[in-house]
Amino acid sequence: MLACEVTFERLAGWRVIAEPSALDTVAWAPDATPVRISPDDAFVIGGPAPGLSDPHAIVTPEHGFVGAALTATELDHLATHHIEWSLPATWPALAQGQIAGVPAKLVLHADGSAQLLVATAAHHEMADRIGATPATGGTR
Amino acid sequence: MRLVYDGQPIEFEGGDTVALAAIRNGQHPARGGTLCLAGDCGNCVATIDGTSWVRTCQTLALPGVIVARHPDGVNPTMLGPDTAADIDVRHLSVDVAVVGAGASGVAAAAEQRTAGHDVTVYDAGQGSEVVGTFAGPSLIVRTATGIDHVHAHSVVLATGAAELHPVCPGNMLRGIYTQGAADAIAAAGIDLGTTVTVSTDVARFEAAEDRPGAVAVVVLRDGTRHECDAVIVAAGSAPRDLLARMVPNVRVTIVGPAAAAHDLPPAPTGGVICPCSKTTVEDLQGVWDKGFNELELVKRASLCGTGTCQGSVCGPHLQAWVGERKGERPLPFTGRPAARQITLGEAAAGYHIDTFRRTPLHDEHIALGARLDKFGGWSRPWNYGDPVAEYWAVREGVSIGDVSTLGKMMVSGPDVVEALERIYPNHVHDIKVGRSRYVINLSERGHVLDDGMICREDETRFLLTFTSGGASVAEMWVRDWIETWGLKVHVLDRTVSHGAINVTGPLAGQLLQRLGVDAASMPKFLQHRHLDVAGIPCHVMRLSFTGESSFELHHQIHHSRELWQALLHEGRSLGIKPHGLQTLFGLRLEKGHVIVGQDTELDSTPRRINMDWAVKLDKPRFVGRDALIRTAPLPDERRLFGFTMDGPAPLEGSVIRPTTGPAAGEVVGHVTSSWDSPLFGHAVLLGWQKRLPHSDVVEIDGREARVSAVPFYDREGARARM
Ligand code: FES
Repeated sequence: MLACEVTFERLAGWRVIAEPSALDTVAWAPDATPVRISPDDAFVIGGPAPGLSDPHAIVTPEHGFVGAALTATELDHLATHHIEWSLPATWPALAQGQIAGVPAKLVLHADGSAQLLVATAAHHEMADRIGATPATGGTR
Repeated sequence: MRLVYDGQPIEFEGGDTVALAAIRNGQHPARGGTLCLAGDCGNCVATIDGTSWVRTCQTLALPGVIVARHPDGVNPTMLGPDTAADIDVRHLSVDVAVVGAGASGVAAAAEQRTAGHDVTVYDAGQGSEVVGTFAGPSLIVRTATGIDHVHAHSVVLATGAAELHPVCPGNMLRGIYTQGAADAIAAAGIDLGTTVTVSTDVARFEAAEDRPGAVAVVVLRDGTRHECDAVIVAAGSAPRDLLARMVPNVRVTIVGPAAAAHDLPPAPTGGVICPCSKTTVEDLQGVWDKGFNELELVKRASLCGTGTCQGSVCGPHLQAWVGERKGERPLPFTGRPAARQITLGEAAAGYHIDTFRRTPLHDEHIALGARLDKFGGWSRPWNYGDPVAEYWAVREGVSIGDVSTLGKMMVSGPDVVEALERIYPNHVHDIKVGRSRYVINLSERGHVLDDGMICREDETRFLLTFTSGGASVAEMWVRDWIETWGLKVHVLDRTVSHGAINVTGPLAGQLLQRLGVDAASMPKFLQHRHLDVAGIPCHVMRLSFTGESSFELHHQIHHSRELWQALLHEGRSLGIKPHGLQTLFGLRLEKGHVIVGQDTELDSTPRRINMDWAVKLDKPRFVGRDALIRTAPLPDERRLFGFTMDGPAPLEGSVIRPTTGPAAGEVVGHVTSSWDSPLFGHAVLLGWQKRLPHSDVVEIDGREARVSAVPFYDREGARARM
């Protein structure tokens, strides 16, 4: 197996579950990177807790993901060797599915690079399968 | 140049395959049978450099290569030296895949290119051997560097035709070649001596006494005898269409000789029809006489066509043989991957078993010497070396357990109470803020799916917990119902983002106080609070699975290790020990708590596991209610019981037999959980009796066991409230 030599890092942010219309209109902080997982679900990397117009929104700190930044070359390698499904045709985009048999998300940037997101609990297995370096640490 | 053949060096010429090298030295590359030298049969397979079942006619001879014929009459191990992790897998998408680079393949590729398609050609002779086709269509291709999983828009099979082998007595002798093989041998400058060329007119082959195992005489159907050193068989050909037969009804086009109509050979009357499985024509008759009178059935019953070449040699002969008996030509049998022998490593490459997740405390468990095991999709500590010591720490002192694997779900919204009332069979509306309640989940059929806790955070927000095994489907299950009912509820599964540590034992509260929780704010039984423990924000839930006073500390996973270490450090003077699943399972069994999936079966109703109390039929609506009402008047033989018996505890799964009554001696159920209780000094068990009348005395593992009231421990539940 050819290794995908990337390193996972722990991510800190917010998980926001709310009415899609409320999520559509959030003013995210400049240092926050929102990843819209589904119409009612966003994982926001970095930044402060967002304010929402939905009084029932769930806004909670999220430390359950690790991430790895991929260059276009690394993404191509990952897609060729470990992804059985086709990436979206137009970018930027969010793609979700199994990578090396592990559920994962790919934030695909317009410049061809990407961020790979995996549940912290499963990322050791993915790192082992794709030849990446798992995240270290875990205490505050 | 020399390679090693059955332990002896033999000479070969540059460009020889291993099979040609053997023939050049007067040997058969395997032990006998017609050689095609085209990759179609299995008559040349041998073990090469440790990998068995390799077609030697398709393998280039290299200096020092070690070739070993398979043992006579015994199949070698299928393992090659590689593992799936060693093999590079590529997932490729192509427009048109053309399989075969012969004349028909070249023509097909040109035609596709003219039509504006991107064409990729695969051919074993060019280093890309297609070994399987699947619906999609997709191809599995073996290359020099690994395995390619090719997803094609369309596939054209131009695989040509394979020469027919003779099937008659003596056809497993050495020295029989197809015309194509003879041509290749001649082109390699190898002299076969005196040859006789035959077609389908052979009656049998015979060996001579001075050359046992090698053909010396051909007897034709007209009775004439022809002495020879070798026989060349020019009996026609059959389509090489195995890859097409693997994927009926998908976008695969077959062209050229592979698609051509062809005559079947005469039905064979004797000899080995399937050299791979060593099936004889007499074997076919044997299974036919037993009633296997369809081609696919004859194949399965006789193994004809199930070997290395997947029917490439025997298929047309089998069709002819069955066709003669049925009076019509049968279709060829279904093709199965792999068309060529591949190693188990190659077959498994790129496929993964389910992911086993790690809790945030994984490294802590390893540092403490835990023996890890896999449960519910997680790696979890089974014990830390002394499960009995762990047990006593819980019963008499304080212990901590990693329960991060529990399903944890936040639900919020204006319709949340209505949604939960419909999902759960217990009442939800009357749970006060800061309180929690044990609940079970039912399917529409009233069968127990899972269990857990409901914790009320405020009027419109709850935290739900599920079992570790049930967590993976819980979110889908809850979302499906909420969306089906059109209720306004937000759902967040936070199983993997929140850790949980269970602090349990009579000194559990004392430990929390040492870590900054003041006595006044300590939650009481079935209460929950948001509190800092060791300075770490925790959602503290007071409940009990072990039977002792217990506090589950739910927290963000980046705090897990710090919290665990603080608990262990501060608990040292209280004799704290971590406990694993082995101890936890015993503790909960003494308390009579079932584990859904272990103690329940797929059709276990609350009544069958004595949990009617968790169902409120006075509610107007909940999932499973109709089924429970419908089945309530019916007698039910099945019931989960508690048992006690002298140790050692019988194995889980042991059968249960009543010792008296109408079912005495018969199997009426099995043990679902068992444990040698250190406290009681005897075994406690849960198990099923599925026959009325239920018996108070049964036999398990050849010993007497008695039905016992459950829970076995602390029936009043006082200790959990201490
Ligand atoms: S001789 Fe090698 S496959 Fe037939």
